[in-house]
Amino acid sequence: MIPLLWILIGILAIIILVFISYYNKFAILSQRADNSLSQIDVQLKKRADLVPNLIETVKGYAKHEKGIMESVTKARQAMMGAKDLVGRMKAGNVLSNAIGRLFAIAENYPQLKANENFLQLQEELSAIEDKIAYARQYYNDSIMSYNTACVTFPGSFFANLYGKKEKEYLKIPEAQKAVPKVSF
Amino acid sequence: MEQQRISFYDQIANNKRKSWFLMFLIFLVFLLLGYVISKASSAGNFFGIMILSIIVSLSYILISYYNSDKIALASVNAKPANRTEYRRYYNLVEGLTLGSGLPMPKLYVMQNEQINAFATGRNPEHAVICVTTGALQKLDEHELEGVLSHEMSHIGNYDIRFMTLVAVMVGMIAIISEIFLRSLWYKSGDRDSGKGNAIFLLIGIVLAILAPIVVQLVQLAISRKREFTADATAVKITRTPTGLIDALKKLKNDKPMKVNKAMSPLFMSDPARRKLESWLSTHPPLDERIKILEKM
Repeated sequence: MIPLLWILIGILAIIILVFISYYNKFAILSQRADNSLSQIDVQLKKRADLVPNLIETVKGYAKHEKGIMESVTKARQAMMGAKDLVGRMKAGNVLSNAIGRLFAIAENYPQLKANENFLQLQEELSAIEDKIAYARQYYNDSIMSYNTACVTFPGSFFANLYGKKEKEYLKIPEAQKAVPKVSF
Repeated sequence: MEQQRISFYDQIANNKRKSWFLMFLIFLVFLLLGYVISKASSAGNFFGIMILSIIVSLSYILISYYNSDKIALASVNAKPANRTEYRRYYNLVEGLTLGSGLPMPKLYVMQNEQINAFATGRNPEHAVICVTTGALQKLDEHELEGVLSHEMSHIGNYDIRFMTLVAVMVGMIAIISEIFLRSLWYKSGDRDSGKGNAIFLLIGIVLAILAPIVVQLVQLAISRKREFTADATAVKITRTPTGLIDALKKLKNDKPMKVNKAMSPLFMSDPARRKLESWLSTHPPLDERIKILEKM
């Protein structure tokens, strides 16, 4: 009778391990998604931090472009005031467009364009743009693997058991690549 | 004619399967060799020698495994990249870490005219990426991003660890074969060898000579498969193959580069720039890689 007992204990141990491993799988996948979301936030904040510096630099060469500088500052304030990430991302898109327009206007000021500080800011800001796009992509990838785990068997069984539900993809439209407006 | 598209997910899975299969092949050779030798040599102490050789080769390889990054970086005289000097390099890699979920690797630069790059380190937490100054100068942002994402893929796919594992197996087979062949010298004919034993002895000798060669060829085949996988994973991260394709095209017209032969499997493309694929090459030919990338 003793071997049978051991077999039963073995089977029980395997079952417990499966339950634990699925619990951990969902925890890891869900944490990965949350983490990539916070990465978006980090980049948005970095962008906002660079804006005052940018305004200062532009002011030195293009004093008369008050309208655009105001709209950049306003967009930044709106972003800082947003309560949640979705709000910040929406405001971030507005800010991104305003910064794009600012860079388009800067084309008219050769001295500004040659300024080392300005060039550095321009590079950093466009890198941040790329990083936000990457973070979004990774967020959606993480959601995809999480959701796949939720709906495919045997994951679906455990998802029901642990009350895990499918997560939503990011729906906020991506910031449009700033295209300088040409008017004749 | 509509070109057949291949999904990068399929490409990655396919290559991983193939390299595991090749790994399995090496393991089979290892078992076969051990079996034949134990049959061929009646001496009981052979088992002890085998175990000892395994311990020696394992510890040798483990030590080099833990220091692989330092050895590699020192042998090409790479210097750590400074963030203010190499802003574009840092920004691109930071973007790729966000896109792939990998931790930030340490970045290095090596003085060399040729466009090339390599990644090393035993796991993603201890990873290093090194690019040549030529790559930083000659590649535009998009192309450099393609190259860097290829290197990030090597890190993410645990290629360093995998290839080390393969090297351990290959090394053990070589050592065992060597010991077996040498031990034959010391055996005088006064042994009462039966007929079956003699046949096994013959098979053992043939195997001991052939096995190390065969597994080394398999090792090279695995290395080529991992290159294709890294290309496919790179596309998964950047979501476009164009950067890597353009970089590889530029590489094709680049001059060959002089590096230590032991280092060449690490680089993103064969530094010696051999045109033809052979059983002895560590990398698939550039044209073949470009062709596959263009289908993605």
